[in-house]
Parts: sequence; structure tokens; C-alpha cells
Amino acid sequence: MKWSQFFNTSIGKKLLVGATGLFLCSFVIVHLAGNFQLLYNDEGKAFNAYAAFMGHNSLIQFIAWGLKIVILLHAFIAIQLTFSNRAARPVKYAVNPGNQTSSWFSRQMAIMGSILFIFIVIHLANFWAKFHYGEMPLHTYPGQEEPLKDLYLVSQETFKTGWLVVLYVIGMIGLSFHLIHGFKSACQTFGLNHKKYNGLLSFIGIWLFGIAIPVGFAIIPVVIYFK
Amino acid sequence: MEHYNMNLTLKVWRQKNKNDQGKFETLQAKNISSEMSFLEMFDVVNEELINEGKDPIAFDHDCREGICGMCSMHINGRAHGPWDGTTTCQLHMRAFKDGDTITVEPWRAGAFPVVKDLTVDRSAFDRIIEAGGYISVNTGNAQDANCIPVDKTKADLAFAAAACIGCGACVAACKNSSAMLFVSAKVSQLALLPQGHPEKHSRALNMVAQMDKEGFGSCTNTGACEAECPKEISLTNIARLNREFIGAGLSSEK
Repeated sequence: MKWSQFFNTSIGKKLLVGATGLFLCSFVIVHLAGNFQLLYNDEGKAFNAYAAFMGHNSLIQFIAWGLKIVILLHAFIAIQLTFSNRAARPVKYAVNPGNQTSSWFSRQMAIMGSILFIFIVIHLANFWAKFHYGEMPLHTYPGQEEPLKDLYLVSQETFKTGWLVVLYVIGMIGLSFHLIHGFKSACQTFGLNHKKYNGLLSFIGIWLFGIAIPVGFAIIPVVIYFK
Repeated sequence: MEHYNMNLTLKVWRQKNKNDQGKFETLQAKNISSEMSFLEMFDVVNEELINEGKDPIAFDHDCREGICGMCSMHINGRAHGPWDGTTTCQLHMRAFKDGDTITVEPWRAGAFPVVKDLTVDRSAFDRIIEAGGYISVNTGNAQDANCIPVDKTKADLAFAAAACIGCGACVAACKNSSAMLFVSAKVSQLALLPQGHPEKHSRALNMVAQMDKEGFGSCTNTGACEAECPKEISLTNIARLNREFIGAGLSSEK
């Protein structure tokens, strides 16, 4: 089987969705670690220095563009699979089993993924586009010669808008529900289903990716709003 | 368990043939014993329909002891009805109570076209088996059964996978109409044993290719198939199929 055929099979496409999904899982950990600097009480010194590094380091920039391609690839193949899966049942059932045979989270991947995708577009417009292509306030910290783009200030101002905070929290609920099923599902697609590891994988999928990380992200705009 | 009789309202899918649109028909099932099987209840209803000069409901059945996999009925939203680990013929009427309304539909999947009423065409499964669900054996005398050592744990896993009766409940239960649990059971029962090793790569690739060709959906790991399987085939088989497929795809010569 050629590579082109291999990645055109149902399992081949799922492997691409799973691989890109796991890569994105690793990304959210790094992103959250960086974001926590927004909660420092240093007028954004650490965060802005970090943002300047992330915005200019060529390796990071290479990965950042790769990341956007990975998100599009993940969404594109997943949408393609969703449509072909729906087409596989032309006549629907009159009565459906609901939660009796499968978890609610496992059936909402396309919807939660769509919420996340919309969130990501808004999020990139709010910060990434502004940082790279928009007009940014500058801040020179004591002991530094060059002024830094004040992304910290932009975030403080952005999250003074109530509806944007609500939108970010909804986005993180989407992330939570997507990953509660997504992480372990990707492992299963790669053939990782073994009673010695299943407990650990469920724990990571639900508690780390499903709860801790989305809560960590969601706390930041809420804290800024009420500050 | 105490015996009781019940009157039921049935909403049954009626479809003359493959090309007919089909619709639900409401029927009364009177004086049904709680000790009957679900299929015996259908026999009673059909007797009445025949006596009235009407067309009886077409449904598949053969062994009526849970091993042939023919009795494909989607009952109140559940493949083979509300009980776990049973086929429709093993579902007893004590699962229902007097006055219940029961909706009965055929398996719904593009790859399983309705032949008539509740009968569907599952020959797509046969074609998947033909694509690789076998081992090639030379003609001549059979060799001694004990000359190939088999690890007991693997023999047990292979046996558990071989319990699959090809009923199609996995496809019926899956929101994507995916046949992965069926294909994974058929791949696993051979891949786990030394006799299945020589063709393990071509088997995984060919059976998956045929599965896709038949128009089954892809697996999103919801686990509905495992929950509905009358033989309780495990999702670990799907993980094994994925491993077999990845291994075969990475190393195939063609």
C-alpha cells in the first residue's frame, strides 16, 4: 500500500487526526505555561519579554506557522470524516440510544471542535494579529534599552470587556469537552489500549487535558476582569 | 420470576423492498407471555397478520439460541434490545411491561440495505472476510495439532475475538455505521495465533480497504459497539487492528 493510499483509508485519516490532535495537546501545555506570566504582579515585564522572544525566535516562528497548518489539517480531515460518517447512514433511526451506549462527550467531538475553531480564529485576531500586524503600545522597563511591545497591557484591556471573557470561558469549555474524549481516543487510534496503561491515559485525558488545562486558561481572563 | 401476560403496541418498520420508501406501522400485540422470546412475540403477531390475510413482518432468524447472528432488530433505540450481551432471540418479553410501546427498526447503514421490513443484506461482511479473513493452508495431511505451540493467554484472546457472530450490531449501534469492531475481531482471531502470522500484513490492509469500499463509516472510539455487542467483543481488538494496520502500512513492499 502506497503512502497516498495508506493516508486515504479511514484508519489512515484517523491517524492524521490523532497525530495532529496529540501535537496540539502538547502545544496547550506550553501555551498555558507562558500565559500564567499574565498573572505576575510585575507590570508584564516577564510576559512581554517572553512574547518578544516567542515572536522573534526563528525556530519558534517556524513551529508557530506549522501549528496553524496542523490546526487546519486537523479540522479539515475531521470535517471530511464527519461528513462521510454521516453519509454512511442515509436513513436515520427514529429512536436513538443517547447516553445508554456511549458517553455524551464522545458524540460531540465535531460540535466542540467547531466551537474551538471559532474561538481560535477570534483569539488569533485579538492577540496574534494585533501583535504582529497591528499597532501595539510600547513599554520600556527600568534597566532595559529597547522598548517591548506591551501585549500584557493589550490582554488587560481586552479582558475588561465582559462578553469577551464569557466567550473565552465558552471556548475553554469547548476545549475541555473536546479533550475529555479526544486524548484517549487518539491513543486508541494509535493502538494504545492496554489495561496496564488505560488508567493513566484516562487520568491524563480527563484530569490534565479535560479539566486542569482548560480551567487554567479560563482563570486568566476571569482574574483580569475582576482585578 | 413471576409469569405475567401483557398487551403491547408495536411500531414496526415496514418496507416492501430495497427501493420502497418504507414507513412505520402500528400494530397491537395482545396477551403476550413474559416467558416468550422477542422473536416468539413476533411469531404471534405474524400468525394474526396471516389469519387476517395480511403480509407478515419479514425478519431474519435462524438458530434462536444466540449463535447465528441473524436476528437483527433495533429495539427502542438499542441493537438487539435493552439487555446487554444478548441477541434479539435471547431477549425475553419480561424486559417489557404491560402497555409498553416498542419501536422496532432494521439495522440502519448504507452498507446494509433493507431487503424487506426488518431484514437487511449483510453480504458486505462476507466480502470483507473474502478480502483477507482466512488463512491459506496447503493440501495434504493435516499436521499434528500439538506441533505448533500457542501461548495460552493469546489463545484465550483469539478465542474471545472468534466469538464474533457477524450479526452487525456494532455497525447498527455506531453513530458512524463503522464496522471496525467486526473487522478487528476477524483480524485479531487470526493475528493472535501463529497460523495467522504469514498473512497478517496483507490481511489487515485488504480487509480495511474492503471495509472502506463497502461504505462503512470510520471509528470515533465512542464504544457503542462494545456496549451493544451480543458477544461482548472488546475495544482492545480495535486497538489491535489499528496496530496491525499501522505495522502493515509502514512495512508493506507494494
